[in-house]
Amino acid sequence: MGELFRRIHYLIHRRRLDAELQNDIEFHREMAARAERKDFGNTLRMREQAYEAWGWTWLDRLLQDLRYGMRILVRAPGFTVLAVLVLAIGIGANVSAFSLFDMVALKPLPVPDADRIVRLERRSPTSYTSEMAYPSFLFYREHARTLSAAMAVLGVPPMQIDDDQQLSSASFVTPNYFTELGTRAAYGRLFDPTSDGPANAAPAVVLSYGFWQRRFGGDASVVGRVIHLNGKPVTIVGITSFEFASLGGQHPDLWLPMAQQPYFIQRSAILKDWTNSSVRMWGKLAPGVSASAAGEELRSLTDQLRRQHPEAVWDGEFMQISPGGHLQVMQPQMFQVAEMIAVLSLLILLVSCANVGGLMLARAVTRQHEISIRMAIGAGRWRIFRQLCTESLVLGSLGSVAALGLSWVVIRIALVKFDAPKWLSAKPDWRVLLFTIGMAVAATLFFGLMPALQIARQRQQKTIARQILVAAQIAASCVLLIVAALLVRATLHTLYTDPGFGYEQLVSIDPGLGHHGYSPTAASNYLEQMQTRLSMVPGVKEVSLVKLPPMGHVVSNWTTEIRGRKVTVYPNWVAPDFFHTMGIPLRLGRTFRRGDKHIVIVSQEFARRQWPGENPLGQTVGDGTSKDTVIGVVGDAHINALSDDDALEQYWPAQPEDMPDMVLIVRSAGDAGSLAVAEKALAKGLDAAIFPEIRQLKVLYRDNVEQIENVAAIVTLVGLIAISLAAIGLVGLVAFVVTQRTKEIAIRMALGARPAAVLTAVLQQFRWPLIVGLATGTALAAFGSRFLRVALYGVNNLDPASYTAALALLAGIAALAMLLPAARTLRLNIAAILHHD
Amino acid sequence: MPMIDREDSLSPAGALSMLILRVLQSEPLHGYAIAQRIHLLSSEVLAVEEGFLYPTLQKLLRKGWVEARWGISETNRKVRFYRLTPQGKTQLNHELSSYGRSTEAIQEVLRTA
Repeated sequence: MGELFRRIHYLIHRRRLDAELQNDIEFHREMAARAERKDFGNTLRMREQAYEAWGWTWLDRLLQDLRYGMRILVRAPGFTVLAVLVLAIGIGANVSAFSLFDMVALKPLPVPDADRIVRLERRSPTSYTSEMAYPSFLFYREHARTLSAAMAVLGVPPMQIDDDQQLSSASFVTPNYFTELGTRAAYGRLFDPTSDGPANAAPAVVLSYGFWQRRFGGDASVVGRVIHLNGKPVTIVGITSFEFASLGGQHPDLWLPMAQQPYFIQRSAILKDWTNSSVRMWGKLAPGVSASAAGEELRSLTDQLRRQHPEAVWDGEFMQISPGGHLQVMQPQMFQVAEMIAVLSLLILLVSCANVGGLMLARAVTRQHEISIRMAIGAGRWRIFRQLCTESLVLGSLGSVAALGLSWVVIRIALVKFDAPKWLSAKPDWRVLLFTIGMAVAATLFFGLMPALQIARQRQQKTIARQILVAAQIAASCVLLIVAALLVRATLHTLYTDPGFGYEQLVSIDPGLGHHGYSPTAASNYLEQMQTRLSMVPGVKEVSLVKLPPMGHVVSNWTTEIRGRKVTVYPNWVAPDFFHTMGIPLRLGRTFRRGDKHIVIVSQEFARRQWPGENPLGQTVGDGTSKDTVIGVVGDAHINALSDDDALEQYWPAQPEDMPDMVLIVRSAGDAGSLAVAEKALAKGLDAAIFPEIRQLKVLYRDNVEQIENVAAIVTLVGLIAISLAAIGLVGLVAFVVTQRTKEIAIRMALGARPAAVLTAVLQQFRWPLIVGLATGTALAAFGSRFLRVALYGVNNLDPASYTAALALLAGIAALAMLLPAARTLRLNIAAILHHD
Repeated sequence: MPMIDREDSLSPAGALSMLILRVLQSEPLHGYAIAQRIHLLSSEVLAVEEGFLYPTLQKLLRKGWVEARWGISETNRKVRFYRLTPQGKTQLNHELSSYGRSTEAIQEVLRTA
């Protein structure tokens, strides 16, 4: 330790100590001269050796190399700018991807104790739901000592403010929601347990900042104003702040206290219903308690609950605890997506590094002269290698700084485009910076190692390294392009496939009768009346009923096996005229009749799979006690799984006990949107307490499609970037090779060789890398695309059309990249070249 | 590895460290005086090259076995005097015993083999 301090002391006072040494040596000389000794050594060498004794030579050499490296780079601006740009794209892609992942999964919410926030969900070996019954929530909150706080969030259909046409999204929360998150109000106040806890407290609503700006024009005097939500008067008590961070990334327009839910949704018994899983539960771990300890206690509480209220708990159920203090609670599928994106980003990095590596190798040929001189003066190969590595480090650093800038821009755009919560910023945090440094080192190793080795061993003339780099670039670009092609094809397929039902003119009307405490008979009455009245509205062609509406909020399915193949079956419960109203063709048999029991209608694909070649009518579905007979077969209609080509449907007749959950489906003659007003008025006329959710299927379908289109657009962009990088690399390399051999080419042409022959000779070295690259790339893509199956609806992952298109494009661009520079040379003035010697 | 960093006391590099430390045990000296004393005390057998002396002195400085102070020489010139530190004294004893052991061992072999 002392030695290290002495060494650092020496480093700091170097100049002075060196001067003192100089003095000592001179004195020694004087004294030796007096004694007439003539051993004069080389002072400078002596001082150098003395300096070496302190062990700081490596630092000196590093600084020397850095300065030299920078000079070299400045002297070749074209190369430097190109290399930095290519690196910026390669590293930038990775940094951007990581930044997004960081924002979603790693960055803690800007609330106190974000690391103690957890999300609780119900899970059992056979089922899983992310919500629980409100009374169960109260039970856990009461008894869990490992949780210092528990919050619940209840999502409801959009509500109507005063007489607005457009509905506003709303969430009910427990009054400790804002206090636990430490949120401050921009104006007024937010909920707290004393004021808003009791059920008979004055009705209060909190507006979100964005909604307040949009709907109320940022008018601060709205605080204290009374508005009507679904007809119920309520006071606006406050507005959340601009950078408010909510749990789970949700951003409803309105926040309401949980206890007042029955006030707004009349006759609703959700808050007392042990069997209705409706609220999302969040909690805060008590200080010093680990998640596993909390899990243990919750497990025993679940067992306790099962004994008291067996209807509220499944067999083998336990509470799943996940960290909740980030933007999103990560599900396993999300990790898969993240991995895929990581692999694709690394491929881009590979392309850009191979690119720069190739450029460096090409430049090495010009630097042969300089390096030979240095070796002649006495530089060891190791020294040259180290210096080249330092140069690469400089390039890598410049590239990563540029990459940070690039990714900042990309993230800013992404935040704006996806309407992200306002507390997120594009500024890189320490995790992103650390990742960038790591990437810079990795990239430098990738592109710097091989060229440095080659040059230090003076083997620039051998082209094998260059060929490997070209092959790597081609292979990586190949994979990226094929993946892009597959995804684009899947998108086109989704966009232009008939979903099986006429969504253009359909509207779903969900009165949510079950939530308002309607009994089956009352519900049946209501629905019948609605149906009659709706049919009388001009423009309405047909009305029917369905339990799980198309593109609705609730999706239900189960996976089973048919003849050894796993399939997903989507069940539904419908009225007899459902198929006709939806425009789903009846292929065989008949539809339901009133009073039918133990019968089922299946989709075409299901029939084909289950009973290939046989008549499906009369066959039975189900096992044991609940066997249902097939009386009809309809066309495939993936109303709740638009992009899943393999979905199979089964339909059962709606029974009286299903009535409170049924949703109306209306088919209009013309534009479905124009009927909204009439439909709302009708609903109000029947029961003013009901505010049905009216959704146009056309709009929902378009939103769904837009998402898929966005993904395909991004992937195509990535593919094009990759191919541009590869093209740039090839053009640069070929141009360089050709320049090197200009004289040779000129001589050959002067002697009468045909241009084609000369071109072949020069480009010969690129033939094999191209072929090997394409082959490897295709193989890797074929292997890797298996993992993309989830996203490739309707398209085989070995789809020949996509592969051929991608390969043709890549081969075409590669050929162009190689021929253009070469062809240019052939047109040069041969005489001039030969004279210029 | 630079020759100065050799640790064994039987090579010229290692021996020089030991000799310098021993010479400085009596009194602080400047660089030329150290070289002279070694030369004279060895009956002019050992001649210390200044190109060797000063790097070795630097190493001793770095290890903390020796420290440098300004002083006035016999010729009225300002020059640095090197003196032994307590750690240097320990190191000197250590090297002396190590040297003694090595020499004895070699002599044994030469005598009896």
